[in-house]
Amino acid sequence: MKSTKPLSLVTMLLGFCLYGVLPLYAQDELPVSQIDHLIRAEWNKNSIVPSPPTDDAHYLRRLYLDVIGTIPTADEVKAFLANRSPYKRYEALAHLLNSPKYVEYWANYWDDVLLGRQVKRANVDRTAFRDWLKGQVSKNNAYNKFVYELLTASGVNTSLASTVMPNGVMPSMESDLSGKSTLDSRVNGAVNFYLKYANTPADYSGTVSRLFLGVQIQCAQCHDHKTEAWKQADFRRFTACFMQAKVQPVNRTLDKKRTMQVELTDNAQPFKVPARLAGKVKDNGRTEYAMAEPAALDGTSFATEGNRRQAIAKWITAPQNPWFAAAIVNRMWAHFLGRGFVNPIDDFRDSNPPVMPELLRKLAEDFVAHGYDLKYLIKLICSTQVYQLSSLPAKHLDEGNTYWARYRLKPLKPEVLMDMLVSATSMQSVLERVAGDRLPAVKAAMQKQLTFLFDVDEEFEQKDYEGTIPQALLLLNGGITNNSVTPLSGTALSDVLSLPGTDKEKIESLYLRTFSRLPNTKEVAYWTKFLNAPREVGQTPIRQGSGLPKQQAYEDMFWGLLNSSEFIFNH
Amino acid sequence: MKINTNNKVSPENTVCPGPVDLWSPNRRGFMQAGMGGFLSLFFAEWLGTTSRANAQDTPKNVRPKSCILLWMNGGPSHLETFDPKPGTATGGSTTAIKTRVPGMEIAMGFPQVAEVADKLAILRGMTSKEGNHQRAQYLMHTGYAPNPTIVHPSLGAWVNEELGVTSADLPNFVSISGPSLGAGFLGVQYAPFVIQNPNQSPQNIAYARNVTAERFGMRQNGLNFLEQGFQNETQDAKVKGHREVYSKAVRMMHSPRLKAFDVKEEPMAIQQAYGNTNFGKGCLMARRLIESGVRFVEVVQDGWDTHKDNFNRTTKLLSGVDPAMATLIKDLSERNLLDSTLVIWMGEFGRTPRINANEGRDHYPQAWNVALAGGGVRPGVYGATNETGEKVVDKPIMVPDLFATVATLLGMKPDKTFVSPIGRPISITEKGKAIPELIGG
Repeated sequence: MKSTKPLSLVTMLLGFCLYGVLPLYAQDELPVSQIDHLIRAEWNKNSIVPSPPTDDAHYLRRLYLDVIGTIPTADEVKAFLANRSPYKRYEALAHLLNSPKYVEYWANYWDDVLLGRQVKRANVDRTAFRDWLKGQVSKNNAYNKFVYELLTASGVNTSLASTVMPNGVMPSMESDLSGKSTLDSRVNGAVNFYLKYANTPADYSGTVSRLFLGVQIQCAQCHDHKTEAWKQADFRRFTACFMQAKVQPVNRTLDKKRTMQVELTDNAQPFKVPARLAGKVKDNGRTEYAMAEPAALDGTSFATEGNRRQAIAKWITAPQNPWFAAAIVNRMWAHFLGRGFVNPIDDFRDSNPPVMPELLRKLAEDFVAHGYDLKYLIKLICSTQVYQLSSLPAKHLDEGNTYWARYRLKPLKPEVLMDMLVSATSMQSVLERVAGDRLPAVKAAMQKQLTFLFDVDEEFEQKDYEGTIPQALLLLNGGITNNSVTPLSGTALSDVLSLPGTDKEKIESLYLRTFSRLPNTKEVAYWTKFLNAPREVGQTPIRQGSGLPKQQAYEDMFWGLLNSSEFIFNH
Repeated sequence: MKINTNNKVSPENTVCPGPVDLWSPNRRGFMQAGMGGFLSLFFAEWLGTTSRANAQDTPKNVRPKSCILLWMNGGPSHLETFDPKPGTATGGSTTAIKTRVPGMEIAMGFPQVAEVADKLAILRGMTSKEGNHQRAQYLMHTGYAPNPTIVHPSLGAWVNEELGVTSADLPNFVSISGPSLGAGFLGVQYAPFVIQNPNQSPQNIAYARNVTAERFGMRQNGLNFLEQGFQNETQDAKVKGHREVYSKAVRMMHSPRLKAFDVKEEPMAIQQAYGNTNFGKGCLMARRLIESGVRFVEVVQDGWDTHKDNFNRTTKLLSGVDPAMATLIKDLSERNLLDSTLVIWMGEFGRTPRINANEGRDHYPQAWNVALAGGGVRPGVYGATNETGEKVVDKPIMVPDLFATVATLLGMKPDKTFVSPIGRPISITEKGKAIPELIGG
C-alpha cells in the first residue's frame, strides 16, 4: 500500500464525524470522496435518500465477512468498540488484509470462480491449484500478472514428491530419481485451470472471456450474437488463440486414486488429430478451432505469433484492454456491495449497459494506475461511505436499489457459514479433542454437508432469499448446530456459563459471539425472562450439575441465535 | 445455487438463480390467473389438492399430473432392455420374451414388466450426440446440451415451478437414491429434496437428540422473537423469505404426510412385490409420495455403465428393476393414479451393439431406447432400430422432441419461455415438438 496523506482537514473531520474512516489517498489518486461524491449526485438525481451510516459493530462484522470470510470473535468486537481511534475502521481493514485468513479466503474465492465447486476432471489436482492460488494471494500479485501467469501457464499439474508408493516402487516411467525430480521441478499448479477444459476448448475460451473480460462470447459458439456484434467467426478466432496448448501424460501413476501427471506445453502447431487416429478420437470441434486464424476480440490477429497463448494473455491483460480492468472492478464492487455496475457481473455488452459508467471507468483507470493491486481496490471500496451505509431501510429508495443507497443483505457461502458456526461456538477445540487425527476429515465432512446444501452463487444478485427446506432442517435439527450449542467443555456455551456475573453479561457474551454486537435493553429483558422461565429438565443433559433447566434454556437461546436471519446474512 | 450430484453430472458452472420479477411465482400466478383464477388458486392451495398452474384450466375432480422418473444411471443397454436383438452378432446371449401385447417383445430380463406391457410406450428411436456421461446426463435431465453461459433446470425443477403447490407441506420435487440435477436458473427453491437412502427417513427431519416437542416449541419462541425483531428492523424481503422457508421446514417436520417417506408402513406383500432393493423401496416411496401430492419423484438405479461383463451385470440390475418397475405401474394403475402419473424409464444413452473384448458394451448415443407409461401416453412401440441395433431406421426421436412430448403429457406448454439471468429467453424444451402419436393413451 502506498503511503497516504490526509487530503484536508475538512475531509478528515468529515471522515471521522460521519464514518470514522479517513479517505487517505494522495491527490493523484482517485479519492474515496470522489467516488462518494459521484454516487451522491446520482442519488440526488434520482431523489434517493440513502440509509443511515452503519454503526461500528455492524461495520466490523461486514468487513470480516467480506474481506476474510468469517465473523470477528467476541474479544475482537469488544476491543473494536472500545477503541477510541478515529482511524479504527481503517486500521481494522488494514489488519484484515494482512491476516492469514485473507489468503485462505481469497484463494478459496478464486478456486471457486475458476474451477467451480465440483470439478471432477481427470488430471485436475485441486490442491496444487489451490496452493498456487495461495501463493498468488499471499504475495498480492498484481491482478494482471496473476491472470497472465494463469493463462500462459505451462508445466506439470501435480507433484508426486509426497506420494509414498507401496513397496517403495517408484511410479515413474522415468525410472531414475533425477527424472522424477526434473518432473517435480516442472510442477506448476496453475496449469490445472486449463486442464479442466483440456478437451473442450470452446468452454475454455468462453470461460476466459466471461471471467476476465466480462464478455459472453460463448453465446456466439452456436449462432451469431443476436443483439451484439459478435459473430461465430469471432468466437472461433478467439478460441484458436488457445489451440497450441498441448497436454501430454508424463507419468502414469500406479495408484489410481492419484491424479495422473500430465504436462501442459505450447506446441508450435495448433491442435491436429494425427492421421492414424483420424475418425477415432473425438474432435469436439477442435480441428475447426485450430484452423481458424487466431485473433483477439477486437480483431487483432496473432497469426504470426509464435506463442499464441502469450499473445492473447498479453492482449487480455493490457492496460488498453477496454474490458479487463472494468470486469474485475465490477466483480469486486459486486462482492462488497452486493450488486455490480453491470449485472450479472460477467455480462458486459452494449444492450446491458452499466449504471454510472463514468464511475466504473474511473475506478478501472485508478486500478490500472495502482498497478492492478487488489488490496488497494479493496481498501478503496471498503473506505467509501457507500460501503459503510446501513442495511436498515432508506428514507427513499429507487426500485431495485440500483445505486447502493442501502447496504444489501447478502447470503453467505457455505465455507463462510462453516467458519462462522465454528467461530461462534468455539467448536474448533472440541472437534480437535473429539476427532483427533481425523479432524481434517471430520471438518471436510461437515463442510461437504454445508456445501451440498448452501451453495451460493455470487455472480448473480439474489433479489429474494433463495433458501431451501433441507438447509433449514440442517440448522434446525442437524448436529452442526445442535452439538455446537451444548456446553461441552471448551465450547462457547461452556465458557459463557462459567462466566461470573448476571444473565445480562452472559446474554451479551452470546450476542457478541454470534451477532458481533451488544443486545439492546429489550433483547436483554426478553432473554432474561426466557432463561428464567420454569421448564422441565431435559432427559439427558450432557453435563451434570446444578441449574440444569437454565443450562438448557441457554442452549435454546444459543440455538435461536445460530438459526436466525441476523446470523446467517451478511448485513 | 446448484445441487451437488456426487458421481452424477453437475452443472459445472455457476448456476444463475437470479429470479426475474415477471416470472416470480406469486406474481406470475396472479397475472395469469386473473381475479377469479386467483381465488380458485387460493383455495386450491389451501386444500392442497390441485396445482397452482392448473388452477385455471384443469376441470374439477381431475387429478393434476405427476411424474416419476426411473433414472438408469450410467446408460442402460438398449439391447438388454426394450430393444433386444436375439440371434444376431450384436445381440449377445440376451434373448427376447413375449409380452401381453401381441407382437411386442422385450429383453428377457423384464418378465414382470412384460406383464404390464400393454401400458408401455416403448421408444426405440432415441438418438443424440452426447456420449459422455456428464454431458448426456445433463442433456437427459434438462433437455439441453451443457452450455457454460447458463445452467438449465432439470425436468423435475420445471415441473416443480409449473405444477408445484407452493403451500404443500411436502416438497414438490423429491429425488431418491442419488441427487437429480438442480433447478439451474430457476433458483434453489425448485431444486429436489434429496433422499440419499430410501431406508431412512429424510435427513434432519426429526428433533435433535434431547429435544422434545415442548422444547422445540420453546426454541421456536426464542427464534421467532429474533426473527420478528430483525424483520421489523430491516423490513427486508430476504428476511421474510428466510422465515417462510423455516416455517415450511417446520411444517414438513410436523406433517402427517411425512409418513409417505416410510415404506415400512406398507403391507408386507406390497413391499415384497416391489422388491427388497433400494430401487424397489425407492419406487414404493415414489408411489407413496405421488399419492401424497408430490409432483415429481426421481428414483435412481446406478450401475448401468457396463463396459465389462455386460450380460451378467445387466441381468443382475434387471432382477431389481423389473419387479420394482412392473409393480409400480400395476400399483399406480390399481389405485387409479396411472392416468395422472407419467412414469419415465431412461438413462443417458444406450450402449454399443458391438460387444467389446471384455464382454462389455461402451457408450452409444446414436440409437437407444426410453419407455413411458401412464400420464396419458399412448402405449405401443414407437420407432425401430435396424437388425443390429446400431441405427435408427424408423421414427428417430431427438431429445428436445422427447422433452416436448413429456411436457405436453404433463400439461406444461413446451414452448413457454422464461428469461435467463443474462436476458435470454429459454423455453422448457429446446425447439422440441411433441410427438402426436404418443399423446392420448
